[in-house]
This record gives sequence, C-alpha cells and structure tokens, in this order.
Amino acid sequence: MSEPAILVQNLRKGFGDFTLFDDFSFSCGGGRTSVLLGPSGCGKTTLLNLLAGLAAADSGRLLLHGLPAGAGRVSYLFQQPRLLPWLTVEKNLDFVLPPRIPRRERQALIQGQLARVSLEDAAGKYPRELSGGMAQRAAMARAFLFESETLLMDEAFQGLDLPLKFSLIAAFQKLAGALPKTTLFVTHDIREALLVGDDIFVLSRPPARVVLSMANPVPREGRSPGCAEFPRLEKELLAAL
Amino acid sequence: MKVFTKSRKAFFAGLASLALLCVVWKGASLLMGASIILPSPEETAREALRLMCGGGFWRSLASTLLRGLAGFALSFALGLSVGFPAGRYPLCEAFVRPYLTVIRSTPVMALILIAIVWFPTEAVPVFAAVLMAFPVITQNVASGVRAADPALLEMARVYRVGKKRLLLWLYFPSLAPFLASGVSSGLGLAWRVVVAAEVLSQPLWGIGAGMQEAKMRLETPRVFAWTAAALLVGWASDFGLRRLSPRIGGRGGP
Repeated sequence: MSEPAILVQNLRKGFGDFTLFDDFSFSCGGGRTSVLLGPSGCGKTTLLNLLAGLAAADSGRLLLHGLPAGAGRVSYLFQQPRLLPWLTVEKNLDFVLPPRIPRRERQALIQGQLARVSLEDAAGKYPRELSGGMAQRAAMARAFLFESETLLMDEAFQGLDLPLKFSLIAAFQKLAGALPKTTLFVTHDIREALLVGDDIFVLSRPPARVVLSMANPVPREGRSPGCAEFPRLEKELLAAL
Repeated sequence: MKVFTKSRKAFFAGLASLALLCVVWKGASLLMGASIILPSPEETAREALRLMCGGGFWRSLASTLLRGLAGFALSFALGLSVGFPAGRYPLCEAFVRPYLTVIRSTPVMALILIAIVWFPTEAVPVFAAVLMAFPVITQNVASGVRAADPALLEMARVYRVGKKRLLLWLYFPSLAPFLASGVSSGLGLAWRVVVAAEVLSQPLWGIGAGMQEAKMRLETPRVFAWTAAALLVGWASDFGLRRLSPRIGGRGGP
C-alpha cells in the first residue's frame, strides 16, 4: 500500500499544561480534499500550522508527500485573505511566484488564475477596493498559483454570507478540478464539510482524536446546498461531534 | 471644495500667526531700543537682503545644504543597515541599544568639540549630523520592521518568498510611514547640528560660520539674518519632505 499524502503519527503538542494532541495519528490520500471537522478550540488550526511548518510539534512524525512538515512546498489559505494592502491583486499573486519565471509567462499565469476565480477585471485593484469574498477569491487564486502538491485551508469560508460562501466553494471546486492538490480543509461547519470534502474526519475535543472517518458518498459534481442526502449525513456527523 | 476651503483657512491661520510674531517682535525691539540686543523685523529683513546680494551668502547656503545632506545621507544608510537587523532580531537590538543611548545622551556640543579634535574643519559638521540623525533613523527603522504584520510575514514564509522580495515588497512598504517620520525628524536635527558645528568649527563657507563672524563683529541684525537663512533651509527641506511623503509612506501600511 502506498504512503498516504498527509501522514501524522503519534503527534504530541501542548501549550503549558494544556495538551492539544496526545499520541494523535491521522492520514489522508493524495489528490483528494479531506476535511477535519471539529469543535472550536480542538486544535484544527494548530494542526495546519504544524503541517505548514509554522509551529513545531513536541514529538511525533508529520509528513507531506513523504517530506517532513516545513521541508516541502505547501499552499495555505488562511481564515483571512492576508493580501499585502499596498499591492494590487495581480502583484499579490506575483508575490508568491519565483522570480526566475519570465515576466510574460508570469503574467499569463496570473491572468489565467484570476480568470478561474472570475477576478480578471480586478487585477489592478488594491485589497481595500475588494469585497470580503473577492479578497478571499484572490487569496485562493494565490494558493493555487503557488507550485505545491498540498493545500491547507483554515476555515476559509468562515464569516461569509451563504450565497457568497457557496460561490467561493464553487470557485474552489473549479480550481481544484483544474489544478488538483492534496487538500486538507479544517472547519466546524458541517454543511461546508459536506460540500467540500471527499473524506471527512471528525475530531473530538482536546486531546484530539479522530472519532469518525467518512468518505463523502456524494460525488463532487452532485454536491449542492440542496442535496437530498445531506440532511442524513449532517445528522450522522452532528452525532459524532 | 471643502478641502480647498480648509487648506485656505489653514494658510491664513499660519499667516496670522506669523503676523502676530512680527508684531510681538517689533514691540519687543521697540521696548529694548537697541538693535545690538534685539533688531527689529524690518532691520533684519534689510540685512538679509544685503546678505543675499553679497557674494558669499549663496555659497555659504550651498555649503551648509551640502553638509547637511551628506551627513543625513550617511546616517540614513547607516540607520537603515543597523535598524533593520535591530528590528528583526531582539539580540541585535540589545547589542545596538547602548551605542544609541550613548550617542543620544552625549551633549551635541561635546560631540562637536571632539569632532574638531579628530577631523578637518570641513568634515566636522558632517560628522556631527551623522551622529545626531543616526539614532533617530535607526530607532524608526527598527520600529517599522517590528510593526510589519506577523500574519503577512507568516504568509510569506509559507509561500517561500525570497529575502530580496520580502525586503522590497513586504518590509519596506511596512516601514515606509516610520521611515518618513524618521527622515523628517532626522533631517530637522541634521540642519540644526550642522549650523551649530559650523559656528564652532568655522569652515570657510557656511551659515554657522557667517553667524559666528557676525556675532564677533557684534552685528546682531546680521546674526538674525543668518538665522533666518538657517530657518529657510529647514523649512524648505520640511516642505520637500511633505511633498514626497505621500509617495513613500502614503500607499497604505499593514
């Protein structure tokens, strides 16, 4: 059996007396979108930061496509868009491209990416001129523009109204279809988990454990807010939470 | 329209304040009754005009300007290269801090007198300006670097943004407002200390040298006229900076 794309083994992480993860293990497959669903404060964001190399584990093994966390290239879509306010949308995307790429090529890459998230007309705008949804779409385009095999998403659709949330999820699906990455998405929103995730893992309160693993029975193209199977699945997930 | 009215009002308020100063100055000079102690505004203006028509004035003005700018440019480069690592690494700041404290606490006159012993006359004002502006620039650059948004830095770290791009695209725009404020106070300090150093070191040309010469001859109106020239230099640099600052610091910070 091949090695999973994201592998967490015997993770231990605490803050002072508070233990967030104790002998925590988890893995997910390559090219799929896996969702970690859990209550607030269960360590979802910490796990993403550990995988991104932004934080260090007390002990344990974290691998992304065979490389230790922090050693490989990952894209990260944060809760906030984290765009540089003094750069235009186009320049914000350019920021993550390696300087060795010729100018013409990088412009084509950026334009293509902006078109995928319907922001081609906003290329010259500054973040302050964008709505919350547009800014998050720009951040999403940046995440997919960065050359990496893994995408980490931290409650990226939080705080948006429903139509905006659904349009962002559709933009994500479009990008994920065109440029597949192994995606780990954390959220506490069951509906989001069902709309986005191919695999869903429910986490317990700290010290976190995976209390339920579920392959989403609804294929990507069939997932919509009004999907008939969602109420049953929501009940199942809610019971595990 | 509203902005225009506001700026006009501010202009007239400034003009009124200047007029009040002239009235008080005139009153005080009348009260003193001796131009050797306090010359009147019109006497100072007449002397300034005479000074401007003379050969040495413009050369002195240019010399002071050059010394100030040279001193400031050096301290800017130094401040940037020391302030950046100081803002980035606490250990580096701890290392630099005693030097900054010593420079800041040493009386300007002591620095100038030491410089007179160490350097040729022409270099004394430049050295003094470098030392005076350096702590201000360093401190402002360090504060600007520390103020860079950690969330943006984290994002740049994840996306493996190179050092050069990080510096030019993230750090410099973040510290631009701090740099603008550092430049403004540093340059203001540089002018004052250059003139003071010129008074003591007596280079061939310079506002301070002219001032000292006039004082030795007890030509108080001339001392006042040279002072007005020094004020003009400070005002011009401040005006220039204000025109420039929206370009360097006004694109929005983090």
